[in-house]
Amino acid sequence: MNTPGNRGRMELAGDGNEPGTLRASRRRVFIAGARRRVAVHLIERLISDPDVEVVLAVDRGACPPTLLGCDPERFVFASADLSRRRQVDNLFLLDRFRGRPFDTVLHMAFQGNPHGYNFKSHEFNVNAAQHLLEASLRHGVSKYLFLSSDAVYKLGPRNDYKVREDAELNLDPKAHPILRDTLDAEFICRAKMDDPNCEVMVVRPSGVFGGGVISGINLLFESNPPVLPVGFDPMVNPTTKERLSRDLMLAIYLHGKGVYNVAGTTMGPLSRFFEERGINPIRVPGPALKALNRMQKIMGMTRYHAGFHPKRLYYSLVLDDAKFERVFRGNAHHVLALARTSDGIE
Amino acid sequence: MPPLLRSKRLSMDMLRPLLPAREWERVQAYPVQDAGLGTDAFGTRRDLLGFAYALGYWLHRHYFRVVSAGHEHIPSHGGGVVVGNHSGVLPFDGMMLGADVFRYTEPPRLVRYMVDYFVYQMPFVGAFFRGVGQMPGTRRNFDGLIEEGHLVGIFPEGAEALGKPKERRYELLSFSQGHVELAARHGVPVLPFGLVGAEEQQTMVADLRPLAKALRLPYFPITTTFPWFGPLGLLPRPSRYFIHYGEPLQIDPDALRSMELRNREVERVRDSVAVLIAKGQATRREYRGTAQ
Repeated sequence: MNTPGNRGRMELAGDGNEPGTLRASRRRVFIAGARRRVAVHLIERLISDPDVEVVLAVDRGACPPTLLGCDPERFVFASADLSRRRQVDNLFLLDRFRGRPFDTVLHMAFQGNPHGYNFKSHEFNVNAAQHLLEASLRHGVSKYLFLSSDAVYKLGPRNDYKVREDAELNLDPKAHPILRDTLDAEFICRAKMDDPNCEVMVVRPSGVFGGGVISGINLLFESNPPVLPVGFDPMVNPTTKERLSRDLMLAIYLHGKGVYNVAGTTMGPLSRFFEERGINPIRVPGPALKALNRMQKIMGMTRYHAGFHPKRLYYSLVLDDAKFERVFRGNAHHVLALARTSDGIE
Repeated sequence: MPPLLRSKRLSMDMLRPLLPAREWERVQAYPVQDAGLGTDAFGTRRDLLGFAYALGYWLHRHYFRVVSAGHEHIPSHGGGVVVGNHSGVLPFDGMMLGADVFRYTEPPRLVRYMVDYFVYQMPFVGAFFRGVGQMPGTRRNFDGLIEEGHLVGIFPEGAEALGKPKERRYELLSFSQGHVELAARHGVPVLPFGLVGAEEQQTMVADLRPLAKALRLPYFPITTTFPWFGPLGLLPRPSRYFIHYGEPLQIDPDALRSMELRNREVERVRDSVAVLIAKGQATRREYRGTAQ
């Protein structure tokens, strides 16, 4: 509908909103999947920034303990099932946000844990992505971010030394259903990327390190001991939860839409990352890897799931985040919040 | 935990006695742009490079006794595409060419080959190839290497040329077009070379295609010595290599727009390689005449 309000927003999303420029006014942020470690870290940083007016954190279950002490004027936690359209809509219609709607939605509520994955998880992953995006567009959100994964890329011996955003995707029908859900959610976002009123952005981070983070690489490093296939040493460039949350902040504060890789600064063979941390992995022949991993899981020695992304330990996956670097990190000086904290962008 | 199960790394020092002190220093001085953990963005490790060069140097000097000419044509800096013939069942020709370029250029230059994908499926072999700077043959890898000013080695006949039978020795197979297209796109020269001697290192008798398919290999060779003598049967005969480098060829940028022109440029490169092979064969005849 071409209402005067809509026209105003269209103008905003027009030529004036060059990628990498600072978005106007104070941020009102909706974060779905607030119980994730990266989300908690990001929320803490957002709350400490006076340029953020309010953060609504949504997840199933209780508020993470570290966020309980946050200023209730600027932080609200709501428990909701995002796979239900009505519940998603209700969040946008809360009294407090009805008059002044959110300007940014960050969707991180993805059930990415292969343990106990079932049809309900699939329903949640796909429906939550769809309902959140549709509600965002309906309620005039000007930026929608979906935190995807680097697992969407096809892995194999013919991989590029650096994988760009336009690289081949893993469309293998035998791939783990979670990967297919991630791609489904991405495609839902990509279908709306031409929306003139809302900047739809998909962020694909490399493996994330950090205490308590449920990512493949982190769970592998937390295993006791990690098990790797003999004769393979893939190149990786993992990031950290701190760096990822900084990158997400940049994505929240600056204009830009499309698909972006984000990765860490250090790249190298997986074995060197183990050496750096003083961890001695066990090497076993490839065919024995899955069986040993299963045994380790039963014995409580690991939470890493070798069957989720089986080629991960064989072939290199180095994300090329030059596009994000150019558009966002290159303009980090525009974001006052990052200048205020000691751990600014490198 | 049994020590064999723990990760091990090949030490450069293991083969250090094979390298003269000066060559050792050159390997140490080779610039590997550290991407954070001792390797460059392509995964090149100096320790593995030293290991490979020590082995390559020994084979180059004492086993294949390589005779080479035309080093003045090798660009001392900037990107370039090194293109030539491929043969010999196992790719010792690539190794010798790499060792030759590294040995006779100052500062030393590393030829980074576009390698067939199957190599990276093999445990140890793939990791080793990547560690010595050899990349899977994709366009993006080529672009990345050229953009960073490396010499990229391409065998446009493909891996199939390694399995040529005896009666087709020194017969060039048709060249793929990728090298010309990529050289034209990046505006870098094609450096042709002709290599003589590798065809004689192994005599291919038959190719067990069904087994090759099952093992996901481009060919499975039956030679006069393999598989009869086990893995030792794959060792090459110490035939002397003759390498000749030709003048760098500038590719017409219009090759990107015209298929006909691209074919002509590919033929120009192929002809140039054929001439260099003939030159190598002539040199070999002279050598043999002198030896007699």
